[in-house]
Amino acid sequence: MTEREGSEPPSASSQAANPLSRKLNKILETRIDNDKEMLEALKALSSFFTDNNLRTRRNLRSDIERRSLSINEDFLQTFQAVKEQLDSVYSDVKAMNDCCQDMTSRLKAAKEQTHDLINQTTKLHAESQKLQMKSQVADAFLDKFQLKSEEVKSLRGNRDGSLSQEFFQSLDKVKKIHNDCKVLLRTNQQTAGLEIMETMALHQESAYERLYRWAQNDCRTLTGDSPDISQMLCQAMEALQDRPVLFRYTLDEFGTARRTAVVRGLIDALTRGGPGGTPRPIELHSHDPLRYVGDMLAWLHQAAASEKEHLQSLLKKCSVNEDQIHDVLGHVTEGVCRPFKVRVEQVLVAEQDAVTLYKLHNLLKFYHNTIGQILSKEAALLTTVTEIQDLSHRMFFNSLNCHANKLLDKVELPPPDLGPTSSLTQTMQLLRDVLACHDASVVPVDDKKEDFKRILSCVVDPLVQMCSVSASHLNTSDMAAYMLNCIYLMQTTLALYEYTDTRLEMLQAQVDAQLDTLVNEQAAHVLNSAGLADIYRSVQQHQSKQGPLASLHGCDASTVKTAMSRFDSYLANPDSVIIPQFGLILSGRVRDSIKKRAIDLICEAYKLMYEAIFKSTNEYKEPQGIVPRTPDQVHKLLS
Amino acid sequence: MAAGPYNYSYIFKYIIIGDMGVGKSCLLHQFTEKKFMADCPHTIGVEFGTRIIEVSGQKIKLQIWDTAGQERFRAVTRSYYRGAAGALMVYDITRRSTYNHLSSWLTDARNLTNPNTVIFLIGNKSDLEAQRDVTYEEAKQFADENGKSIFRLSGENVEDAFLDTAKKIYQNIQDGSLDLNAAESGVQHKPATPRGPISTDQAPQKEGCSC
Repeated sequence: MTEREGSEPPSASSQAANPLSRKLNKILETRIDNDKEMLEALKALSSFFTDNNLRTRRNLRSDIERRSLSINEDFLQTFQAVKEQLDSVYSDVKAMNDCCQDMTSRLKAAKEQTHDLINQTTKLHAESQKLQMKSQVADAFLDKFQLKSEEVKSLRGNRDGSLSQEFFQSLDKVKKIHNDCKVLLRTNQQTAGLEIMETMALHQESAYERLYRWAQNDCRTLTGDSPDISQMLCQAMEALQDRPVLFRYTLDEFGTARRTAVVRGLIDALTRGGPGGTPRPIELHSHDPLRYVGDMLAWLHQAAASEKEHLQSLLKKCSVNEDQIHDVLGHVTEGVCRPFKVRVEQVLVAEQDAVTLYKLHNLLKFYHNTIGQILSKEAALLTTVTEIQDLSHRMFFNSLNCHANKLLDKVELPPPDLGPTSSLTQTMQLLRDVLACHDASVVPVDDKKEDFKRILSCVVDPLVQMCSVSASHLNTSDMAAYMLNCIYLMQTTLALYEYTDTRLEMLQAQVDAQLDTLVNEQAAHVLNSAGLADIYRSVQQHQSKQGPLASLHGCDASTVKTAMSRFDSYLANPDSVIIPQFGLILSGRVRDSIKKRAIDLICEAYKLMYEAIFKSTNEYKEPQGIVPRTPDQVHKLLS
Repeated sequence: MAAGPYNYSYIFKYIIIGDMGVGKSCLLHQFTEKKFMADCPHTIGVEFGTRIIEVSGQKIKLQIWDTAGQERFRAVTRSYYRGAAGALMVYDITRRSTYNHLSSWLTDARNLTNPNTVIFLIGNKSDLEAQRDVTYEEAKQFADENGKSIFRLSGENVEDAFLDTAKKIYQNIQDGSLDLNAAESGVQHKPATPRGPISTDQAPQKEGCSC
């Protein structure tokens, strides 16, 4: 306030006009109660301006100035301290800065110094990593392409030649390495590849050789009824597949062992039978050819089936083709061929009976089919069965031919009743038996047809021949009747079987021929018995230049009339005039047919004579009286 | 089967016999193929099938010979009894005639097999209960009289007949009444497993009576 008042006068004095009034105005305008500063100043003033007197009023200004000065001095003093402190802070910071600068430069230097070292280390580190990787690769390579010592050892096998499970693992590995080498050869590692391959090949060879020896030995022991085919042997076979020759040899060894076993089995079954003799040895039944041969064949069938299983069990891990299996099976079953063949041949050669031979033949055929489902067609056993089958076939036809020859050698005379001879009946029974065997057999149908044809020609032809020879001493009607009876028997027998049609046709032709003979005989007999035969002949041969028929000898009206009346009495009782052979004919159908056809012939003859007599040129008086019946009437009476 | 299908300790040979059309081939087919065959063609002569089963922890291979029932094959099928360890005699419960013929089949089986052959009786087609012609009781009596086991069979328990027969045979081996060393015992043994005691006693113990 004082300062403002102090500054006021110069400004007021510098102002023109009325400075005092202005100043006064200003003072008047001043609103003290609103001016805080003024209030504050006044308050401060009141603190030290206690006595309001002149003196004090005079000194007021200097007092205020003195006070102001002391306050400023205080202020200065206080700031002095602050300043000093700030200065010390400044020096500290500066020192720190220097220190930092120093450190930075030192670090820089150190960095420059270690730079090379770091580079070197990094390089070395990288190199070490590379080397490590290389070592890993090398390890992996070795692991992949080299055998461990224990593997090599297992490959060498034990001293006694036995093999372990590890052998197969090692062998697999060798094989794998050998294969992998091929990949190696494609890269630029050819030398290594070749070397490793060579080593592995050597390992492989010796291992396979060892394996082969072992497998061969093992196979050799498999001669029991039921071979104990070990897991190891199956593995060995699987491994040996890579060496087809060794595989083949081992299989051969197996085959030979089994072959021995099968032969021994058959001989045992033949001669020893089951435990305590039940089932009885097969040979005990050698008196019954069918059972004997059938038992042997059934045994062989079962043995073949079992052997196939054994073989499949041996080769379960191998991928072999059917041919190989068949080859081995053929070999296994080859051994029994001889003992089997010898026995069956003995049976066949000793057997006389055609039926048994035929049954044997069919049995062999059946088993040829049955065993053929197990073995291949080329198997020795099947060939043997085929051979025996051929033999049985030959023996059968031999037997049939022999029988036929016997028939022709010793021809029986026809019995008085003109029926079939006993040898014919027997032969037909034989034929029936033989053909019946066929029903019980299961052979292809075309085969059956072929067989039937041959059997029939073997039996029927000689039979017909025999009948003809036997009938040769008889008169025509007897011969015809006899032949009809014989053929009738054959026909009725054959008609029951298939494939006999052509044969039946042939026989029917013979029947027809014989039938004609008898029909003629019967007709002639009727005409003869009436005395019409001569008249009929004259009528047939009469020619107009001979003159009227009535004038011919034996054809005069009275003779004709007598004959006609006798014929009339025949008409009254047609069955009375009949040839004696008629009653001996066995077949009713044939008898009927003879009767009917004979009547036809008679009617025709009558008609011819009737017309001749009624013909005016023949000059019969009262023809009506001579032949009272018309041909129609005669026909009606007879039929 | 971890050990593989070929690892077995024994082979048992079976034979199935009985009249034509009683379902022998069906049984075999159902057992070996585990499928029911509605239309079996007639067997010609003889056919066979195999299957591996397990009895008391032992793997046993059954070699089953299925014979033709038709009379005309009788001569052929008779030859197959030889060496069978088990015989399954089958009849059809809906056809009495097949049951009536059992005694002739039994005679055949007894004459042609070895004394230890286990014979089981099977009444087949018991799913056709409505057409039943032979009662269970009379078949049971027949079995009792002849000392055989009897089974009623329908589609479901084909397995049991084959398995129980095998069990009986195995039991015979175990108690020694079946001599494995004898030829044609119908059982082939793989020596890898321990074998039961072999008794010298060969008393004619006819088929096991486990009914």
